[in-house]
Amino acid sequence: MNTTTINPPIARIQNLKVHFPVRGGFLSFKPKQTVKAVDGVSLDLAKGEILGLVGESGCGKSTLGRGIMRLIKITDGSIEVNGVNFLALEGKALRQARPNMQMVFQDPYASLNPRMTVYDILEEPLYTHTKLNSEARTAKIKATLELVGLRYKAAKKYPHEFSGGQRQRVAIARALILDPKVIIADEPVSSLDVSVQAQILNLLKEIQTRLGLSMIFISHNLAVVKYISDRIAVMYLGKIVEVADREELYRNPLHPYTRALVSAVPIPDPKLERARKRIVVQGDLPSPLNPPKGCAFHTRCPLAFDRCNVEQPKLMAHSGGLHRVACFAVEENRTT
Amino acid sequence: MEPILELKNFQAHFYTRRGIVKAVDGLSFKVHRGETLGIVGESGSGKSVTHLSYLRLLPSPPLRIIGGEVLFKGKDLLKMSDNGLRDLRGKSIAMIFQEPMTSLNPYMRIGKQLIEPNLIHSKISKKDAWKKAIAALERVGIPNAEAAMVRYPHEFSGGMRQRVMIAMALTTDPEVLIADEPTTALDVTVQAQILDLLRDIQKDTGMAVVLITHDLGVVAGLADRVVVMYAGHVFEEGTAEDIFYKSAHPYTLALLKSTPRIDIPQGSLPVIPGVPPDLSRLGTGCPFYERCSYRMDVCLEKFPQARHFAPGHESFCYLEQRPQ
Repeated sequence: MNTTTINPPIARIQNLKVHFPVRGGFLSFKPKQTVKAVDGVSLDLAKGEILGLVGESGCGKSTLGRGIMRLIKITDGSIEVNGVNFLALEGKALRQARPNMQMVFQDPYASLNPRMTVYDILEEPLYTHTKLNSEARTAKIKATLELVGLRYKAAKKYPHEFSGGQRQRVAIARALILDPKVIIADEPVSSLDVSVQAQILNLLKEIQTRLGLSMIFISHNLAVVKYISDRIAVMYLGKIVEVADREELYRNPLHPYTRALVSAVPIPDPKLERARKRIVVQGDLPSPLNPPKGCAFHTRCPLAFDRCNVEQPKLMAHSGGLHRVACFAVEENRTT
Repeated sequence: MEPILELKNFQAHFYTRRGIVKAVDGLSFKVHRGETLGIVGESGSGKSVTHLSYLRLLPSPPLRIIGGEVLFKGKDLLKMSDNGLRDLRGKSIAMIFQEPMTSLNPYMRIGKQLIEPNLIHSKISKKDAWKKAIAALERVGIPNAEAAMVRYPHEFSGGMRQRVMIAMALTTDPEVLIADEPTTALDVTVQAQILDLLRDIQKDTGMAVVLITHDLGVVAGLADRVVVMYAGHVFEEGTAEDIFYKSAHPYTLALLKSTPRIDIPQGSLPVIPGVPPDLSRLGTGCPFYERCSYRMDVCLEKFPQARHFAPGHESFCYLEQRPQ
């Protein structure tokens, strides 16, 4: 499903930055430093598309998700949703716009109030954002529970009475109850066992198709992202280093970091797995407090050359424009 | 070949207020010298508890070892005195855990932690223990090992901390290394480094490695033989090839099919319906019954006996043919 060329973007993120100030210790005279968790991210989310956002811990993928939701303060940049500048909204206008975007979190144990029944959890957004009467609210809750594969019986229960997978269904129902246009799912299956994970992935896919939603699916798991996404963006130290359609990204990864990531994912097939050539990345992620100059990946990159130490690469179109990559080695054809 | 570690019908239950949780219920498998045995299972399958319980690393009560034998070089660990077991644990049988930050002491310099196993288990001087620890750090690829000895755990990254843990396990030259989800907390690129390291060390030392994981990909890369666990039981055992290409148990097959993978296109993932059972409410039959697409009436009566498919390949299922 290649939606990028057909549908206009429902959300347009431009040069988004989320910087966190870090203070030194008590009575410290160290200069104030900043962690550039998200540092100039531009992305379009097409209508009806699932955009996967992958990267390792600390790359800023969750911060980006929360930033788009305006759950944390944005330092710079713009977010347009349906043509409206979401960052300029305040007060009542912001409250009215919020139902358009909803979030599903990783840990359904922590993101559902243990002292509220499922009914209360689902009713609260309806109270706050709609003028539905009690009957209409009940009908909406019933329909949404059915949509996520739960029986209406479940409404009377508390979160602890459910298993992890069922609880994630409740969290998804809560995200859907206000008929959002965009869902941001932050590691929604990472705390689940393999046998349950597939159920939730299929549910998300099915709901997305049925309701025509757009979704940003954040995960560290490349196999999961491949399964669910139409298009995938790879993040490293606060920046997007590569964006491509799903098949293209795995068949023809261009950025050396993406290549290393893809080659490091274990494949559940002993003969294949043992015969594979790994592209090994040396060392660990550099500190985001003090990111390397130039390309952030050059300290670990097998292809790095002098230009990478000084200049920051920008996302450049490759093979027809849908595949974009930020790498000088690719730009200058030094990949082989 | 004589196995170095052998579990025979091992049972460990938790006695809780809510009832008896049969975490490990009749487990048998062997670990041979020089091999890597992968133990795969989901959370609650008993894959970790098994090892923690016979090594007496869990509080008892609530844990109670109900029966069976755990033979290390022919000697039953369950019949050993606490002192006798202490001599083996951390020396001949070493263990590494998922979260290196919680298994290292944050208040102690890592050098002091690394020499501890040898000071306790071997009659060598502090100086020699220090030398051995530095050698172990070098072996696991910690740059500047001597300087690293006087640093604290928080000064290392996650991957480096896991290397320190592995070094600590290696200082006493163990014969069996139990690695409990050693890469689960790590990023994929770092995971690849640690798995390569484990593979190299296993080859060099010839020790037996028990690799406990939920990740089928990790097992495929490292394990010679695989044990698949579910709800405290072994469901299937065989070589990696048997398990991945000729799965004989419906659970193994369903698990493999429902795992997203990057190398092949997957239209729609077949799912395993339902959820793992409550271990305090297990019947006498097969615990997978509710979720199994091959279930028969007989499955409810009694947990099945092993059915042999090839030498060393057995499945605990009433199915006579391999499921498709």
